[in-house]
Formats: sequence, structure tokens, C-alpha cells
Amino acid sequence: MTGWWLAFILGSLAAVFFGFIWIVLSLNRLQSGGTGGKKSVEDLNKAYTDIAEEDATHLFNKEFREELRNRGRLRFEKIIDENAMFLKQDLDMTISQLNDYMKKEISAKLDSEFAAYAKAMQEAQELALDSLKKTTTEVDQQRIAYGEALQKDVAEQKAVLMKAYNENMAKVVEHYVMQSLGDQLDLKSQLPYIIAQMEDHKKEIMEDVRL
Amino acid sequence: MSDTAPAPYLLPPVLISRADLARLAREVESLENELEAQRVRESADTASSHMPAMSRNLNDFLETNKLDIADDQTRMALKERLRVMKDQAPIIHMTFAADADPDSLRQLVTWLRTEVHPQALISVGLQPSIVGGVYMRTPNHVHDFTLRSLLAGKHEAILHELEGLA
Repeated sequence: MTGWWLAFILGSLAAVFFGFIWIVLSLNRLQSGGTGGKKSVEDLNKAYTDIAEEDATHLFNKEFREELRNRGRLRFEKIIDENAMFLKQDLDMTISQLNDYMKKEISAKLDSEFAAYAKAMQEAQELALDSLKKTTTEVDQQRIAYGEALQKDVAEQKAVLMKAYNENMAKVVEHYVMQSLGDQLDLKSQLPYIIAQMEDHKKEIMEDVRL
Repeated sequence: MSDTAPAPYLLPPVLISRADLARLAREVESLENELEAQRVRESADTASSHMPAMSRNLNDFLETNKLDIADDQTRMALKERLRVMKDQAPIIHMTFAADADPDSLRQLVTWLRTEVHPQALISVGLQPSIVGGVYMRTPNHVHDFTLRSLLAGKHEAILHELEGLA
């Protein structure tokens, strides 16, 4: 089977090769043969041109040209209309697609912006909340510190006042009693107290007087 | 002549201070002079002599000690012993917050002469700041029986009461 395929391919290649050789030889022959008949070809072409010009004056007369012009105009208008219609359809489609695209893009953009905005708002809210919590904590700590300091100051003040109270209140009372009773107590009312005191110290007084 | 010392005079309550005793001594001396003058006048005049008027202090003193002032010996001895007593009698200084009335002073001096010394005298002072009681100074000691010292000693009691009220 493989041998057949190989023979077929080789045969095809040989056929192509010989065909190519034949074309080259034919062109070479045609080129070498043209050198002698060059003048007759030019004459023939001139004769054809003259005949064509003469027939053209008969074929393309004024009515025919008008007819062709009308046909061409109609055809051109039709083509233009069709193209305009196609262009309009394309344009409508493009506009529609563009609208859809714009809607999608704007929606996507707005969604992303809204998402970013919401995220930023949430972050800002969390930040504000954290800051508020931190501030609240600091305020609480400050309040506690101030409270403790205040209590300490109050305790110190109380201790100072109590100390001054303890040191001076007895003197104040004593002074008050002195001021109140200094001129009120006569000796007669004090005699029992004085004699009692002297009785208590009679021994000392006697010893001192009899020395 | 007996060797035993005469009994000491008893001082009546009206004689409180050394000034009273000095005044009594001067009165006795004055009385002695007056009686001497009367005796001189009696020699020239036939009229009988009379006893000069005496202060209440002197009368009380004479009655208390049952002395006859008309007797020359007694009078001489009295004059001499009053002079000695004035210089030697123990003086107790007593300072009060207010003016001391004579009755109170008499009670005090009576107690002193009964309980401490029969010839004790009082020197009275005034110091309103002691509030009440007496600030007593004997020859060698000071006895603070004032209301001020009593209050000062009761500081804790005042504080205790005030704390109880608080």
C-alpha cells in the first residue's frame, strides 16, 4: 500500500516538473518568434483602435449615453440608499450596542465606585468607631484617674482638715468656753471646786508651807 | 519667867492678806501711841482716859485671841509679835479670774488656817485668762487649779465628744 502511494507521489511530481518545462519552452519560443512580427502587431492594434473609435460614435450616441447616465444615477442612488440603510442599521446597532456597553460600563463603574464608596464609608465608620471607642476608653481612663486623684486629694484634704481639727478644735472649744465664761464665773460659785482641789493637794501644800 | 514659847496668835478670817496684818500692826502701834499720849495727858489732867476706837479687824483679832489691849504688856507683846508674824507668816499667792469677794476669801483663808497653817495669809492676784478656778503659788510650788488647765487636760475628752457628734 505504501509503495503505491510513493509511486503516485513520484508520478505527480514528475508530471508537474514536465509541465513546467513545457511552459518555459513555450514562452521562450513565443519571445523569440515576436521579434520578427513586431511591426504587424502594432499595425493591427492601430487598425483595431480606429475601428473601435468609428463604432463608438455609432454605439454610444446621445440617447444611449443619457440612458446609461440615468441607469447609472438610479443604480448609484439605489446603492447609496442601500448603503445608507445599511449604514443606518449599522449605526443604530452600533448605537444600541454602544448604549448597552455604556450602560454596562457605567453600571459596572458605578457599582465599583459605589462598592468602593461603601467600603470606604464602612472603613471610615469603623475607623471613627474605633477612634470613638479609643476616645471613650481614654476618657474613661482619664475619668478614673481624675476620680482617683480627686479622691486622693479629698482624702488628703480631709486628713489635713482632721489633723487641724484635732489640733485646734480643742483649743477653739477651750477659747470659746474661756470667752463665754471668763466674766461669768464668780469666785463664790467656784469655791467648792477650789476647796476640793486644795483638799486633793493638801498634803503637798502643807509640806511646802511648813518647810 | 517661863521658857515655853507663847501660843501663836489665831488670826480671824477678816485678816486675809499681809497688808491686813501690816495694817493691824500699824493700828496696834497707833493705839499704843494714842494710849501713851493719853497717859501723858492724864498726868496733867484729872479726866479719865478712854480707849480709842478700834477697827473691826482689831476687835475680831482681840476677841479671837482673848487679849486685853488695854494691858501695856499685852499691847507691847502684841505689837512685837505682829511685826514678827507679818514677816514670817506663810503667804500663799492665789490668782483668780475675777475679783475675789471678801466672803470667798474668808472661806479660803479659814480653810487654809484650819487645814494647812494657822497663820497662813493670802496674796490675791487677778488674771482673767485663767477663766476660772485658782492659780495657787506656795513658797516652793505652783498648783494650777484653773479652769484653763482643766480644759487643756480634757482635750481628748472634747475631741472624743466631738468625734461622737460627727
